[in-house]
Amino acid sequence: MVHSKFAINKFLQTSSRSELRALLAATGVKLTLPQAQEIIAHAESLGATTAFRLGVIHTYTSDLLDPWLNFEAALQGLALQIYHAPYGITFQEASKNSGLVQHQPDVTLILLRREDLHPDLAYPLTRLSPSQQDELRNESIAELISLVSQFREQAVGQIVLTLLPFLNAPGLGLFDAQSERSEAVWWAKLKMEVAARISASLSACLFVDLDEVLLQIGRNNFFDHRFWYSSRFPFKTEAAQEIARRVVGLGAVIKFPKAKVIVLDADNTLWGGVIGEDGLSGLALGPDYPGNAFVDFQRRLLNFQQRGFLLALCSKNNPVDLDQVLQEHPHQILRDQHFAARRVNWEPKPDNLKALADELNLGLDSFIFVDDSSHECAAVRYALPQVEVIQTPSKAVEIPFCLDRVARLEVLSLTAEDLTKTEMYAQERMRREFMGNTGNNGLGGENYLQSLNMKMTINLDCIAHLSRLSQLTQKTNQFNLTTRRYNEHQIGEFIANKNCLVADFSLADVFGDSGIVGLAIFTIRSDNHADLDTFLMSCRVIGREAESAFLHALLRVLADRGIQEVYAEFLPTTKNGLAKDFLANQGFLAVAEGGYSWNLRNQAPKNQAAFPVTVMIDI
Amino acid sequence: MSTFEQLQNVIASTIKIPPATITETSSKDDFSGSWDSLGHVNLMMALEQTFGIYLDVEDFAKLVSVPSILQYLKDQGIE
Repeated sequence: MVHSKFAINKFLQTSSRSELRALLAATGVKLTLPQAQEIIAHAESLGATTAFRLGVIHTYTSDLLDPWLNFEAALQGLALQIYHAPYGITFQEASKNSGLVQHQPDVTLILLRREDLHPDLAYPLTRLSPSQQDELRNESIAELISLVSQFREQAVGQIVLTLLPFLNAPGLGLFDAQSERSEAVWWAKLKMEVAARISASLSACLFVDLDEVLLQIGRNNFFDHRFWYSSRFPFKTEAAQEIARRVVGLGAVIKFPKAKVIVLDADNTLWGGVIGEDGLSGLALGPDYPGNAFVDFQRRLLNFQQRGFLLALCSKNNPVDLDQVLQEHPHQILRDQHFAARRVNWEPKPDNLKALADELNLGLDSFIFVDDSSHECAAVRYALPQVEVIQTPSKAVEIPFCLDRVARLEVLSLTAEDLTKTEMYAQERMRREFMGNTGNNGLGGENYLQSLNMKMTINLDCIAHLSRLSQLTQKTNQFNLTTRRYNEHQIGEFIANKNCLVADFSLADVFGDSGIVGLAIFTIRSDNHADLDTFLMSCRVIGREAESAFLHALLRVLADRGIQEVYAEFLPTTKNGLAKDFLANQGFLAVAEGGYSWNLRNQAPKNQAAFPVTVMIDI
Repeated sequence: MSTFEQLQNVIASTIKIPPATITETSSKDDFSGSWDSLGHVNLMMALEQTFGIYLDVEDFAKLVSVPSILQYLKDQGIE
């Protein structure tokens, strides 16, 4: 295959990493290694980088991935430090003082060949009867889960498990799909069960299906037989790039502020044309080109909602014109109820983004801004560098999948709360309107809070909430006393530890259930003293005294357990100012070394009646 | 840019040494620290991509010096 020589100057002229990534994705070029090196140098000059530590466990050559891992890292603004384990899967690496553990990886990538799972996989699967195949599959899965579990027991960060696709088409050729001994079916069943077992029993572990890469680029573009047979490195450049992009993308998800909202422009982004000028019937939105591309884009956006992202609207339009499309256009898929918040006016977009951030109680660094206009994108990039800006492609046919390669829109887990995010925000909009109606000038007040009929359910050491609790530590920035980030594995350890108390709460009121929105972690010392390691609450439920009700309920629990004194601290960050006085206001006393203490022997916590929240503790 | 200069750049950026240290007579053994087996495989990939050639495994072992690579390129019609 011949690679055409072309100037990479346009890449070297970009002034932000998101612009560079978008240009690379849009141009769809096959870069050579030397070109990639030049782009890396340019990307590194575009601003500070964040450290990303990657560990690699492998049964085939992995260091030849490094140039592409470094390339993708530079594009994301990550300073990559890679540890490649010595050749072969050695259980030594899954031990406490291994090179891998000492590297303190954020992500551990496991590169396995399918044949590694069981010696019998060296021979055709199709020689076995269906029941023998089932037995072999069960044994192979057990081997694999056992291996991954050993790594999971150590502090190796987020585990990413991969299985190398087959170099060749199935052994039975075209007939495989219909054979009762089908190879393809066997592997599909294996992957399915591995994924289910991982979800059920292994925390902070993601199976990344390399078959999806194979589907994307094709088997002919995936395997390099020369490098495989000479150096045991399986990948052609395109495959190496795609795999590197996905792995480093997961690093971006972990190391950067979590994305939470996709803010969308309307004209020429959600539909072709300008509603204020072209009118409803003049818009390109429907079954014909280019309207069908916009319809597909809107459909694709619904998927991002399913990933737990909020959609918001930011459009320069008269609200009346825009609402006409949302309410009346027969091919419009995204309606008013799909948007968690909206700003439709003629104000500058950066100001609108700030207002949206205030309304949603989310940081601007969780915003992804999507707009077709170079001018608007530049304005937001300039005024709000913490917002990730994606300019939609100028060619309509490229729009539907333009968000598919945004690293921070990937998710490592999904919880029940994620699936109902938009509903939650719609409920919140209703609460705000209700608050306005209970005659308190929108300031809340006791009237409003009592009429919400709030019920708090506190769970203690609840392993079923693992995923959500880990998510909360990673996403909650504002009402967070100590901002300690924990992955699922670490939360699991706290829960299992008899000398730790992990408490979470969910809050329900007349408008609905907010899901699990608060977390406290206490470590209990042998002298009946408890330390408050973590105390945080989603800003969704701020302003209802839930944090106070939660704290005092837990102090009552600790007092019942014979704890005499509780120490707490507030570690200030740029984002948690609003929690600064919480401990003092609740009754903690400042102590000399800069922390706070509560002596339960001579100071009783408030009882439930002090707050407009009914508390139930579910042990 | 001459083929030699292009080759200088490719070798330099692949095995991470300054381009000026690569001369028309340089070979793999001159840079044993950087031009190791890993670097060599990377270099084969980079040569393919830069010059639009297709290398066989048997060629890898032959292309271990600037003169041998330049000769190979010449035989493919690249001067």
